[in-house]
Amino acid sequence: MFRPVQGPAVWGYIIGALVASGVIFFLLTLIPGRFRKPLIALITFLAGLFYALEFFWPTGRDDTNFLTPFIDPAGQMAQVLQAFALGLGVYSLVSVHLRSIARQRSGWGFSVVLFAALFAIAISGLLNAYRPNRYNQNVFNFFFVGGLQALDSTMFSIIAFYIVSAAYRAFRIRSVEATILLSSAFIVMLGQVALGQALTNWLPAEGFGANLRVENIRTWILTRVNSPAVLAVDFGLGMGALATALRLWLSLERGSYFDREL
Amino acid sequence: MEHATWPARIVLIVFSAIIVAAVLSAQRGRKLFIRRIPGLTAIDEAVGRATEMGRPILSSVGLGGIDIITLQALAIISSVAQTAARYGNRVLLPIADPVVLPVAEDALREAYTAAGRSDIFHAEDVSFLSERQFAYAAGVAGIINREKPASLFLFGTFFAESLIIAENGNRIGAIQVAGTPSTTQIPFFIASCDYVIIGDEFYAATAYLTRQPTLLGSLVGQDIVKGILLALVVLGVLLLSFGQPAVFNFFEDKNLALMQYFRKMPGTGG
Repeated sequence: MFRPVQGPAVWGYIIGALVASGVIFFLLTLIPGRFRKPLIALITFLAGLFYALEFFWPTGRDDTNFLTPFIDPAGQMAQVLQAFALGLGVYSLVSVHLRSIARQRSGWGFSVVLFAALFAIAISGLLNAYRPNRYNQNVFNFFFVGGLQALDSTMFSIIAFYIVSAAYRAFRIRSVEATILLSSAFIVMLGQVALGQALTNWLPAEGFGANLRVENIRTWILTRVNSPAVLAVDFGLGMGALATALRLWLSLERGSYFDREL
Repeated sequence: MEHATWPARIVLIVFSAIIVAAVLSAQRGRKLFIRRIPGLTAIDEAVGRATEMGRPILSSVGLGGIDIITLQALAIISSVAQTAARYGNRVLLPIADPVVLPVAEDALREAYTAAGRSDIFHAEDVSFLSERQFAYAAGVAGIINREKPASLFLFGTFFAESLIIAENGNRIGAIQVAGTPSTTQIPFFIASCDYVIIGDEFYAATAYLTRQPTLLGSLVGQDIVKGILLALVVLGVLLLSFGQPAVFNFFEDKNLALMQYFRKMPGTGG
């Protein structure tokens, strides 16, 4: 729908957009307090109506309707707004840790490490993007692949140990429910591994006896017990999400984290 | 691009109308009953325990951006914060998405103000950690081990980091209440937390905690709609069992318009 702009004209558009945004923000601040909430409600309703109409309006043979071409630009506008919010996030992070260093709170050394890491990866990333050479690439890889990704993997691998300790507590036989949980988990685990399947592979692969093979019991538990339960939970969640979405879209709810109902 | 099929249009519009009607009916003063939800009853106990121990409360809304789940999670945590503020306690809220940060900060500030304790609200208690999943998990785990909160409230969208956070909370002996629509994470929370609210209880939480007519009405609307869905499921099972698979085709076929479907039905001349 919108054509990309090339060349020096890009700067004109950027400056124009910034000026227009500034004017809109200024005009918004001039709105009297009593009109602000109705305005927010109106914008929320119109934004929701746009997506609702686009979803419900009948489509042609190409599976599009008159609103479909506007979906991507609307999504891009949301991305721009989110990009502004990233600045807020960085501001929050920097202010908390600067305060920690200034007041020399316990663990303030970690805040220094945070700033060192923040600047190191930002500078190496920019150099790698705008002055790509072997040296800059190596420095960036050292911080990103060797540092950040390795730390991510380390945190992920810790989950294995947490699963063991959580499973130990969950499977301790203290009640009927825990016993059923333990038994079904044991069967599913057995059915998942070759050793478990070997225990019952002497049973026939066809006919009534096949039902007692451990891999078939596992499949039955997963598809006939587990899946319906998850689907039932999903049904409830879907209806809950629909109700919450309606309350927010129609601005029926203002009381939970706003001051009062409209 | 996803678009509604005719069955989806009918079902969603009817269901929406039922929910809105229930909300409007409740707003006009209709008395509504809500059953006890143990996980939510435990919130007062968890906040009281933190106050007695002189330790803060830690909350998390997970990794979600500004969506229905996060807004609902913020509504629950805001209610927790209001109770905590009445006792003069702190609520720490580390955030993973910068877009959520100002909304979360505003929600907690209003909660403290509503409780008449805006003086003890510190903006730095709502802090951005990282958008990266495991960096966020490591950050929250660090806060848990340094601040030793007495209670943890985990509501929102969680992925693999759920267990890292909940197990750290468990390790320091905090009382933990969790709720998430992420069905794959519910088992981890059940194993690690003291109370878990499951499924649509997550969306019922604000109604239960605040007893506002709008929220109660919405909850009743949800229950009516769930009842209709359940009846449709039973009807579908019976029809399929007794050889009427056409009903399933009606719901599955994306391009089959409702009127076309009725015209094609046997005995209608189609």
